[in-house]
Amino acid sequence: MSAAIEARGLSKRYAKGREAALSEVSLSIPPGAVYGLIGRNGAGKTTFIRICATQLLPSAGDLRVLGFDVRGEERKIRERIACVPQESRPLYFLNVWELVYLYLKMRGLDAVESRRRTTNVLDELGLSEVKGTLVNRLSGGMRRRAMVAMVLASDAEILFLDEPTTGLDPIARREVWGAIRRASREKRTVLLTTHYLDEAEALSARLALLEKGRLLLEGPPSELRGRVRLPYRVTVQGSFLPSELERFGQVSDVEGGHLVFAQEGAARELAMLALSRGAKVSMGPVSLEDIFMEVVGRSIEDDAPAAEAT
Amino acid sequence: MSDSRHRLRSLLAITYLNGVVPIRTQPLYLVNILASPLSFLFFIVIASHGVFLPEAVGGGMILMMLSMGTSVQTDMTHYRQDLKFQDVMVASPIEAPIYVAGLALSELVYALPGLFVFLLIWIAEGWANPQSALVLTGVLLLSWAFASALGFTLATYFEDVRETFVFSPLISLALSVLPPVYYPITALPAMWRPLAYLSPTTYAADLIHGAMGLGAPPLLAAGIDWLVLIAFTVALVVLAAYKARWREP
Repeated sequence: MSAAIEARGLSKRYAKGREAALSEVSLSIPPGAVYGLIGRNGAGKTTFIRICATQLLPSAGDLRVLGFDVRGEERKIRERIACVPQESRPLYFLNVWELVYLYLKMRGLDAVESRRRTTNVLDELGLSEVKGTLVNRLSGGMRRRAMVAMVLASDAEILFLDEPTTGLDPIARREVWGAIRRASREKRTVLLTTHYLDEAEALSARLALLEKGRLLLEGPPSELRGRVRLPYRVTVQGSFLPSELERFGQVSDVEGGHLVFAQEGAARELAMLALSRGAKVSMGPVSLEDIFMEVVGRSIEDDAPAAEAT
Repeated sequence: MSDSRHRLRSLLAITYLNGVVPIRTQPLYLVNILASPLSFLFFIVIASHGVFLPEAVGGGMILMMLSMGTSVQTDMTHYRQDLKFQDVMVASPIEAPIYVAGLALSELVYALPGLFVFLLIWIAEGWANPQSALVLTGVLLLSWAFASALGFTLATYFEDVRETFVFSPLISLALSVLPPVYYPITALPAMWRPLAYLSPTTYAADLIHGAMGLGAPPLLAAGIDWLVLIAFTVALVVLAAYKARWREP
């Protein structure tokens, strides 16, 4: 099956002399699944998604969306995509029903079809009860969910969702996740950017990790663990000195104990040793956050910008 | 979106979205757009003891059309920068000319009460006849089109909606207050008159004043007025089509 999005050596520099926002990114996004783009603020996620959504021209490289070139065939692409941009807000004077219905009408759907799709999507996303409410009177989570509902109701084959849950509380985030999962069930391609690693892991069939405009890692979340040097984490509490643990792997202090990243064999050996000493121990595969730390060398929460532009 | 029916649906939806729905939440929008032209009308009529009433009515209608353009400019900047609504539109089958035309048409909705007031005066003063109606319609449509195209072009370059607060009064000053829109060109010192002809609104006002019987321009001059006004409009629409940034470079 051909890729939904195919990037080859894609680069973007906003101005001469400035650091590249994207640097020779090559990746292939398969159709019909959620693809997560993760990275810190300024890593290049938004630049990538904006080029894919034909909102921004690349500086170099090739990008094809559904087989069409973003340079010169953008009309064909636009007929097949929909986007919720980062920090976008619905027009404040619309109610939830109008937001979805008028978006569909603007896309050229007729009134009957627009009504049918609007009713369905509001029902499915639990927004029917607030359909007559002005969007600016909704909570942040409901508002974002309404924006996702808007693109979900469309006939677009690819949905671009740029940080759809940033700033939302955990409950509101879960509400938006439900909407994204619905798109995934419909076998539509969703390109999702986020700096919440749990979100990326929970929703994405594949992930790409960007840092300073460069692609550092790409693949299904389960496979990414196999790509790191030390794929297991062991937490031990009490009766160990850090110097004792160093032979097992990479040691760092955590509250009340030590965290050791290790190969599978060493991790098992350490766990057994800890149990034999009666120490508290937990062992498991590394988390996405751990992988991020190992690959990038800093936490995704580290706010220092990765590049000049997002 | 390739077929014209889809385009028409799209156009009407944008017009409804931006021109009808907001009035429901804030009916004062309808009054707001009347404020400047009626203020000018009031001031000029009082100051001239009613002598410049025809010029003030003609000028008021032109100013209303220019206000459409500055409203397009403000709305577009707000939608692009603050709400990212333009990005939603770009990544969809909606084409730039349809988006602009929809927003421009929606601004006409706000202008309807104002135009109604001016048309009442127009009729009450006995200026209405088939020929003047044709001239008025043509001039107002062209003014609306060039003002909207100008508004769209500028809006795509603004980084913040506050920039429109700087440009809108300047555009209004350059196109409706300084040129002889509210007063006859003969009121300008002779040395300044050539400068007045740099503004398309001078030609628009000349045609409207002619239609009101204020010393109609000779046939040749009227022809030139139409020609220049159409050329300005075409130039600004072409500029909007080619220079305005729908997709960012």
